[in-house]
Amino acid sequence: MLSVLRSHAAARVVAIAAYVLVVEWTRALAIQAPGAAVIALVLGGAALGVAAVGWPAGRLGLGTSRLGLRLLGGVALGVVLILPAAARSGAAPMLPVGLAVAAVAVSIGEEIAFRGALYAALEDLGGAPAAVVGSTLLWTLAHALSHPPAFLGAVAAAGLLLALWRWACRDLVGPIVGHVIADLAL
Amino acid sequence: MRRLGILVGAAVTYLFAAWMVAPGFYDGFGPPQAYNWTCPPPQAGANVKPSSGHLDIKVINGVSDANSAFTDDGQVVIGFLPGTFDSAGKTTISVDIVPLDSCPKPPGISFVTNVYKITASAPPAKGKTAGLTLRYSNLEPDPSDVYQASDPAGPWKSIGRNEQAAPFTVDTRVDSFGYFAAGYPTASPPPGSVTLGGGQTLPIIVAVLIVVVVLAGLPLAIVRRRQRSTPADEEEKG
Repeated sequence: MLSVLRSHAAARVVAIAAYVLVVEWTRALAIQAPGAAVIALVLGGAALGVAAVGWPAGRLGLGTSRLGLRLLGGVALGVVLILPAAARSGAAPMLPVGLAVAAVAVSIGEEIAFRGALYAALEDLGGAPAAVVGSTLLWTLAHALSHPPAFLGAVAAAGLLLALWRWACRDLVGPIVGHVIADLAL
Repeated sequence: MRRLGILVGAAVTYLFAAWMVAPGFYDGFGPPQAYNWTCPPPQAGANVKPSSGHLDIKVINGVSDANSAFTDDGQVVIGFLPGTFDSAGKTTISVDIVPLDSCPKPPGISFVTNVYKITASAPPAKGKTAGLTLRYSNLEPDPSDVYQASDPAGPWKSIGRNEQAAPFTVDTRVDSFGYFAAGYPTASPPPGSVTLGGGQTLPIIVAVLIVVVVLAGLPLAIVRRRQRSTPADEEEKG
């Protein structure tokens, strides 16, 4: 099984895509149970991070070179992600501490899974276009159970923006930081 | 520069897409307690019907006592300070909160909570208000206002909301009773929106964001271009 995953790019894509979809949908269903929100989010975030096992940090877009610029880019992405909601609704209530910790866990897990491992696997299979389009489609599909249908366009656009940053800058630190900022604020 | 252009295009596309679904993109983190819907959205899953609430407030020496009425599921709480009611000739004042068994869809407004009918056996005294708190679900966008009507068919008027509230709740003050729900206007940005230059918000936001993204992405892209063939870039390629 492992040898198949190592030698076949398509098998890696299928395995990672199936895994992250199952994790995301399970999390979306589990969060509905009374009192289960925080634990479901934390475990879901950790489970998503497992998708990156076996991938070198560099292939995931992680690294410490030009870290200041990566962090600055992450802040810019966060500003872009939260601006429409901030402009519309004025003040948004802050998340309670427990939920904020869970939101950080999910944000990091989702970025490592979608723009990290899944992106890298798709890039091996079909290059950057497949990585950007494929990770965006899977990202949108993964949010189908947790978001009203009317929001999936914005979800897809956010996924596309983060994937294009990953492609243009070969960086995952920026999307992680931006996603964390957005989830803490929203 | 081509990559930067694509990135800016993606940012503009995102802003447009998020702007179309008021109040904007959110990532769906939920409250610890599931919302009980009158008309559950498709993604709600198993649903419990919303509860009603009742309270009898004592009148002591002609002054109504302080107390709070709430529904059994805690989705609506209305608090009264001493003397809130015009309690002349009464020894107790009854307050009832009942969820409407239908879901009005007034034009130009999207409700994100059930509609609740709040009645009392005495009106509020002149100049007195009660604090109303409505809980809402993570399955719908955050509400920008609380709306009130004397009839579920309308007309519905916005009575605003307080800036500070607990997560997934919206607070406001009411000086009369009737039908209440939280929601947001679908035809135009809510009153709390940023409006600059005569309300031309979106172009200004887009312009600002283009500058932000370019400022953030340009140095990174330039450094990457310069180092494309150097060993330092091998970290990115694994």
